[in-house]
Amino acid sequence: MRPSLALLRTTTFRLALVQAGIVLAFVVALLVYIYVATIGQLNADSDVLAEQEYAALERAYGEGGIRRLNQEVVERAARQGPLLYVLAESNGAVITGDFQQLPAVPVGDAVQRLDFNFERTDESGADQSGRARGQVGRLLNGPILLVARDLGDSALITGRITRALWTVALLGLLTSVASGLIGAWLASRRVEALTNTTRDVMSGDLTRRAPVRGEGDEWDELALAINAMLDRLERLMHISRTAGDAIAHDLRSPLTRFRHRLESALDAPADVEADREALRKALEEADRLLDMFAAVLRLARVESNPDWRFEPIDATEALRELVEFYEPAAEEQGRTLRGEISDGLVLSGEHGLFAQAVSNLIENALKYTPEGGHVEVRAVRRPDGRIEIAVSDDGPGIPPADRERVLERFVRLESARSSPGAGLGLSLVAAVARLHRGGLHLRDGLGDDTHRGLCAALVLPAIDAAAAR
Amino acid sequence: MRVLLVEDDADMAASLKASLTADEHDVEIAADGELGESMALSGGYDVIVLDRMLPKKIGTAVIKDLRDQGLSTPVLMLSALHDEDHRVEGLEAGANDYLGKPYSTRELLARVKALWNGRDRDAQTRLQVGDLEMDLLARTVKRGGKKLDLQPREFRLLEYLMRNAGQTVTRKMLLENVWDYHFDPQTNVIDVHISRLRSKIDRDFAQSLLHTVRGSGYRLEA
Repeated sequence: MRPSLALLRTTTFRLALVQAGIVLAFVVALLVYIYVATIGQLNADSDVLAEQEYAALERAYGEGGIRRLNQEVVERAARQGPLLYVLAESNGAVITGDFQQLPAVPVGDAVQRLDFNFERTDESGADQSGRARGQVGRLLNGPILLVARDLGDSALITGRITRALWTVALLGLLTSVASGLIGAWLASRRVEALTNTTRDVMSGDLTRRAPVRGEGDEWDELALAINAMLDRLERLMHISRTAGDAIAHDLRSPLTRFRHRLESALDAPADVEADREALRKALEEADRLLDMFAAVLRLARVESNPDWRFEPIDATEALRELVEFYEPAAEEQGRTLRGEISDGLVLSGEHGLFAQAVSNLIENALKYTPEGGHVEVRAVRRPDGRIEIAVSDDGPGIPPADRERVLERFVRLESARSSPGAGLGLSLVAAVARLHRGGLHLRDGLGDDTHRGLCAALVLPAIDAAAAR
Repeated sequence: MRVLLVEDDADMAASLKASLTADEHDVEIAADGELGESMALSGGYDVIVLDRMLPKKIGTAVIKDLRDQGLSTPVLMLSALHDEDHRVEGLEAGANDYLGKPYSTRELLARVKALWNGRDRDAQTRLQVGDLEMDLLARTVKRGGKKLDLQPREFRLLEYLMRNAGQTVTRKMLLENVWDYHFDPQTNVIDVHISRLRSKIDRDFAQSLLHTVRGSGYRLEA
């Protein structure tokens, strides 16, 4: 594609053309206005003035005949002023006046308007040229009388203004077209960068990102939005790419055990008690597998279904109940579970998912805290108005480098491989957090330097407690 | 007890029928929603077990129409997904209980029985099992005339067990009905709550009322 032609097709260039058109229309309107306000007015004034003078001279002729008229014309022509007079005989020979010759117009019987250029020698002997406007007519018995106004300097000035305006209009047009081309070129470079990025992504390179200039303009905003979209796409692609492997990997061991139990029960000599025990174990494995499938499905639905029914949740009450629910079991297992829940925490969400997310955090903390350890559930309204539900423990914690990773599906750190679970717990919490327009953050917990502990903080937007009621 | 089983998966239906029959129920099977609805209306069933995804008419629509026509037979709805929105939808349509797959047969049997037994117990204000008495208005519990001091949650737990006295209630049933939780706690949370309750109602008495049913749940019985 030829870039020059492509530029002419851009929106920016079209806008510049429209702008040029507007400039042109404005200049034309201005010209019309100036013409009407200056020349038009001047002409009208001249016509009135010439008419009055003509009438006055015609009266003088009526009263005193040609002698009186001649005298008047001589007097008036001698006066300083813009008015010009000519008195001529009926054959056109000039008797007296400002010109030696009548302008070359046929003079009829009726009074008529005229507009003419003239050249003359004034009193001081200087040659003078100019434009004049007035009327000419044949008086009773033949003499010709002309009265006109010298339009003089004002005509000159309006002429110059008109020329200047046309020049400006032309320059405006050129600048509009040029700025349109430059703007189109600049814009097309940004668009081209975005287009190239999307093309690269389309052809498979999901790591490509649109360049952001850091100017905070609309192009940067678009680039940022596209990049955010690509981030999410990449994450989803990554999930679907790894989920299959992970499911297969995680399901293989329990399925193998399941198969092995059934096979060895079949191979062994018939023994009711042993068979029943094998069946019980097989049932347990089957339950574990089904639980895992349920967890995968649930996570998929949380991530893909936007139609959850959100209602105001009294988080204070829900959290206190959850702590009360887990507290006896924690004590039984030699762990301390404490809740410190602020009053009046209300959020908009799905009740069951919220309870499950928090319970996942509590169970995780209890699971990874050694005997004698502490787990603390703190919920506060942060200064930014969001609700933070932090479940902290003094267990081994998670090294900062691994924290992003454990939020992904099926990721279980080597240290946790031995304990039960599908590695979906934190993924579900993170997905529930995203669904509620919040987030899940992992940081150091209650421990000291050797045992850092883990704090999983669920941050969710709050709603006004009073408005929810 | 006569049970109507509306389930389109023939293997599943046969397996459920076998389990229910073994538990001494009379079972009839309908393989689609429309047939299930007309069989339910022709009457005589004590409990209806209704799958959510059915050919011809889905479970929620069936139950809505049954309720609109004044049928009050308790309905247990089964669903492939135990999700909050589906559960709420099922209960709002008129189901009395909701069970998401995967579930164990024991779970299903316990719930079918609980539905049947629970029909007319809701209105009671006094519950009694052996020498254990609960006054729901005064919110007091006595055993052998001696007042027991229970926490509010323990009271609700005991109330649910007493309403279903003599039959097995599963951990899941307790979780859903006493705590309104619809997820599976990984730990033995329910067992610990039960053992705390047991220490309050059984410890000082010769006869224990709260029994553990191995592999299923618990039963309160004199």
